[in-house]
Amino acid sequence: MKNTFTQSMAWLHTWAGLIFGWLLFAIFVTGTLAVFDKELNHWMQPEIPASTVSQADAAKRAISYLQQHQANAGNWGISLPTERSPGLSVSTGDRRHGVVVPLDPNSGEPLAVRDSVGGNFFFRFHFTLDLPRNWGIFVVGALALVMLAGLITGIVIHKKIFKEFFTFRPDKGQRSWLDFHNASAVLLLPFHLMITYTGLVIFMMIYIPAGVDAVFEGDSRAYFQAQGNARVEQPRRLAKTPAELVELAPLLAEAEARLGPIGSIGIRNPNTAAALIEVRPVLGNRIALTKGNAMVFDGVSGKLLSDVPELRPAPLTQRVMAGLHFAQFGGYPMRWLYFICGLISCAMIASGLVLFCVKRGRKYAAADSRADAAARRWYRVAEVCNVGFISGLMVACVGLLWASRLLPAELAQREAWEVRAFFGLWLLALLHAGVRPAKQAWVEQLALCAVLCGGLGVLGIFAGGVDHLRLGVEVTGLVLGIGLALAAWRVACPKPVVVKPRAARTMEAKA
Amino acid sequence: MSETPTWLRILSRSGAALLGGYAFSYASTACLARILPLAPADAVIVATLPAFVFYTLAILWAFASRDALRAWAPLALAVPLALIGFWPQALRWLA
Repeated sequence: MKNTFTQSMAWLHTWAGLIFGWLLFAIFVTGTLAVFDKELNHWMQPEIPASTVSQADAAKRAISYLQQHQANAGNWGISLPTERSPGLSVSTGDRRHGVVVPLDPNSGEPLAVRDSVGGNFFFRFHFTLDLPRNWGIFVVGALALVMLAGLITGIVIHKKIFKEFFTFRPDKGQRSWLDFHNASAVLLLPFHLMITYTGLVIFMMIYIPAGVDAVFEGDSRAYFQAQGNARVEQPRRLAKTPAELVELAPLLAEAEARLGPIGSIGIRNPNTAAALIEVRPVLGNRIALTKGNAMVFDGVSGKLLSDVPELRPAPLTQRVMAGLHFAQFGGYPMRWLYFICGLISCAMIASGLVLFCVKRGRKYAAADSRADAAARRWYRVAEVCNVGFISGLMVACVGLLWASRLLPAELAQREAWEVRAFFGLWLLALLHAGVRPAKQAWVEQLALCAVLCGGLGVLGIFAGGVDHLRLGVEVTGLVLGIGLALAAWRVACPKPVVVKPRAARTMEAKA
Repeated sequence: MSETPTWLRILSRSGAALLGGYAFSYASTACLARILPLAPADAVIVATLPAFVFYTLAILWAFASRDALRAWAPLALAVPLALIGFWPQALRWLA
């Protein structure tokens, strides 16, 4: 594009970063929040009690509920209480469109729990942007590719990458923004690269099905069979013969000894001779993503029919990469590490976006500037989008948490209203940024976001359902709120160094 | 050359990056999956893992190359790679 390689890369970094950075920021923020998706689920449904009931007891209560109310269903699903999600629920029907009934793990009685999209919304938004699933996956994949290109071009144009490893010169306007953008990018470069690349690997067979097209003639079923993902099936006639279901507790103990903590149970053809019991571990007992793995037992004799497969090196590599992205392994310390790294990634993207405007601000801000009207209008668009897509998105995210508690619990289509609240707030924030001067818009939205984050605890006290998981969410909200408040305060009254354009330029020359 | 409007040059390079890059990474994955000495199911995975590296390189190439025509080189390169990847299908189609 330009004369030299570095100049071309700088051009690409600047413009791709600006145009795609807004959505990338949204993807990174929701991805960071999705690290704690289960905790947010729990926070957003305050009716679910904390419980100390063992999984075996909870499973027994779930089975007796299902025997009473759904004895003839073709499929039973039981989601067991775990460390991160203390709720118990049962479902019938297939996995995606089943009917879910939350139960009280202490009594086994159905619980009236409000419908809520929960933290799952952030998880889904992270890889689909709430578009129809397949479209969303491709859009997010394209954005991830831009992110990879942005990281590489960033390395190319950052000439003093080692010399300025820890350089940070605060209170120097544009220079400070650049330093922050560089430092956050360079210090966590391995994380940025890892999280972006592994994100692409999760759906790689959807993005680039070339291998299956070439070697398996595009027959993805043949490909999955070659992977050895065969499903255990019982002869169909057995499904007509009634039979008593085996006791679950010993099977759970056996599976837990083999797989680690258990997350859920699925029972196909319950109360028949064809009954199959699938016991699935929680994700994260190992680094490799174990989604879909299960130990399958005969539902009448309790005999183990199929164990979790040992993966060959190639599929294991892919699973480990997916696992590195899902961040389910290593317990809470690892979760916090991912959360903090994610926050820094978000800050890196945001500072890059802000830097774009700060760099050009002087040219357009002065009333007597010679910049033509069209360029000035485009600059204003970038400014408005920066506010709306950075602070506005954060307001929308925390606003979703508020909506989950404030919307009436028995509202029809409650989940849809929560999502509307999210996008409505985001839209309002964009409009607000459009009508206010940039600096005021930043201050007001950051302050609002700070109040909403900090206030989660207050909301929690009034709306009830306090336990240690929810308290964790609220304290984290408070800490983030304080950080945002500091940011708002810094924008509102910056240290008066950059007073005049000319003064700033001499400062830079000296630096 | 210099009369080409800027937006057209950007559009051409973006097209080269997006389409040329996809064709290149798709074809090189197909080629790798065909020639890797592994079981087919494993070869597909091992060949697809580096696809995004190819794609990223093609994007950088599209914007870094000196003239606009060379920006489309990955697309041209995709043709022989795809022929290797899909040679049984290609032979069947010819027959």
